[in-house]
Amino acid sequence: MATREVISSGNELSALAAKDAGCRFFAGYPITPSSEIMHELSDMLPEIGGACIQMEDEIAGVAAAIGAGMSGVRTMTATSGPGISLKAENLGLAQMTEVPLVVVNVMRGGPSTGLPTRVSQGDVAQAKNPSHGDYKSITLCAGSLAECYTETVRAFNLADRFMQPVFVLLDETLGHMHGKAMLPTEEEVKAGIVPRKTFDGPAEEYFPYGCEHDQPAVLNPMFKGYRYHFTGLHHDKKGFPTEEIETCRKLIQRLEDKVELHKDEIELYEEFNTDDAEILIVAYGSVSLAAKEAIRHLREDGIKAGLFRPITLWPSPAEKMRELAARIPKVLCVELNIGQYRDEVQRATGRLDINGLFKVNGRPISPYEIVNKVKEL
Amino acid sequence: MARTLMRFTGVGGQGVLLAGEIFAAAKIKTGGHGLKTATYTSQVRGGPTVVDITLDDDEIYYPYANDGEISFMLSVAQVSYDQFKKGVQDGGTIVVDPNLVKPSDEDRKKWNVIEIPIITIAKEEVGNVITQSVVALAIANTIMKPLDREVLIETMLSKVPAKVHDVNKTAYDLGEKYANEAMKK
Repeated sequence: MATREVISSGNELSALAAKDAGCRFFAGYPITPSSEIMHELSDMLPEIGGACIQMEDEIAGVAAAIGAGMSGVRTMTATSGPGISLKAENLGLAQMTEVPLVVVNVMRGGPSTGLPTRVSQGDVAQAKNPSHGDYKSITLCAGSLAECYTETVRAFNLADRFMQPVFVLLDETLGHMHGKAMLPTEEEVKAGIVPRKTFDGPAEEYFPYGCEHDQPAVLNPMFKGYRYHFTGLHHDKKGFPTEEIETCRKLIQRLEDKVELHKDEIELYEEFNTDDAEILIVAYGSVSLAAKEAIRHLREDGIKAGLFRPITLWPSPAEKMRELAARIPKVLCVELNIGQYRDEVQRATGRLDINGLFKVNGRPISPYEIVNKVKEL
Repeated sequence: MARTLMRFTGVGGQGVLLAGEIFAAAKIKTGGHGLKTATYTSQVRGGPTVVDITLDDDEIYYPYANDGEISFMLSVAQVSYDQFKKGVQDGGTIVVDPNLVKPSDEDRKKWNVIEIPIITIAKEEVGNVITQSVVALAIANTIMKPLDREVLIETMLSKVPAKVHDVNKTAYDLGEKYANEAMKK
């Protein structure tokens, strides 16, 4: 893989990734600590024939982005937790209508306006179910500067593959830290773009939602002669509202199965020193950086610690976590929330003895705090 | 090279962020690793701001400085000095602008406190208060010597508009001069 060295911040790298991955529309409303993403794209997109619009609020931001997604353009919005809360209703609409969209959430302290400039991972549970109803979230979580780029790229490809919003979770630390990232080249990213499927048969035979039980809708770009209907109501294969019992059941089951039955295309994780580990740390996002540093120190002291880092948070790499927890006696979840992902680790592993090191005061968890906690176990 | 941890503190709007980015970028240019993190409050201007700079030949994971491991701190605001000085290791160096920061006698025993009127130098000798971050950059590098001065100056110039290259070079030279004089005392 060809690489290029870029010196930048996580937010700027996420914006660069969007441009390289073919995003040509951004709509949003700036909010700390995500604002640099919009700031960068407001420079980049008009230069390459795209558009970046600051809307009147977060709700309008995601609504405009969904509209662009409906028209066939790769589209994005970025915000932080309070913005996701506002966008939730429209994110449900995008799930129901199967409109691809990348949503970057640079997490800060919550709930409500919380701690605007401080780091948190409090939106992990929110990303799984931002709005009401049944659907499967796809949520990616960057754990390094390079991944702020690569996971944003991956999100665009997954959004078009699965035809739904895809979350990219960054956090304040990653978004604002500034340093070196080794990235794939722009050519390589472009070569990896798989555009969404389209239907090119006769218009009267086009049924955007008439797809296989485990496949996403096939939404042709608008204004190309294919007419269909978007609605948040349960709908038939043409997109028109229906209450027909089997159609309703199949639709919602398909929203679940299109993701659940293809998890292998979405799951991604990193194992760090797990081969001989006697203590498994589970951490993601910027916390995994402290965990890696902690593992360096612990191994110098003869303690065999390893890290499991989910990069795809939802759907979770459950089987891998179960496999590791079956052979590693002690498991410690380290999170900047009160165990939002530990719940998932407990579910996946069937173990209720998963330890936790949690912090919710807006400050990062230091490597030494992890070292001390591991030594207590 | 062992890990170098430096901390720049001030209040929002003073431009301490840029100095951190320049240090990190210059270290990366020489083939190493550099990271800058900034912590600030939701009070955009006037709130205490801290920038941590980590430089290493090896990969850096955790981007913040651990308390007690910082070898150099520079401060141009009392509020930030008070809040962030505890991160500096015993015997470490703290540079303060004496017009803005008043270290206690206890502090002077614990750390090597150096007084340089950074803001006054920028405002009156360079003629542009914005150059204080470059004066600070020069002071930090002259005292700590983590990087080759030419690489650092080149990196700094690449980050400022061409029309202000001369004024920033002057700022660097003055920072260097004052730091050398202060160290002789």
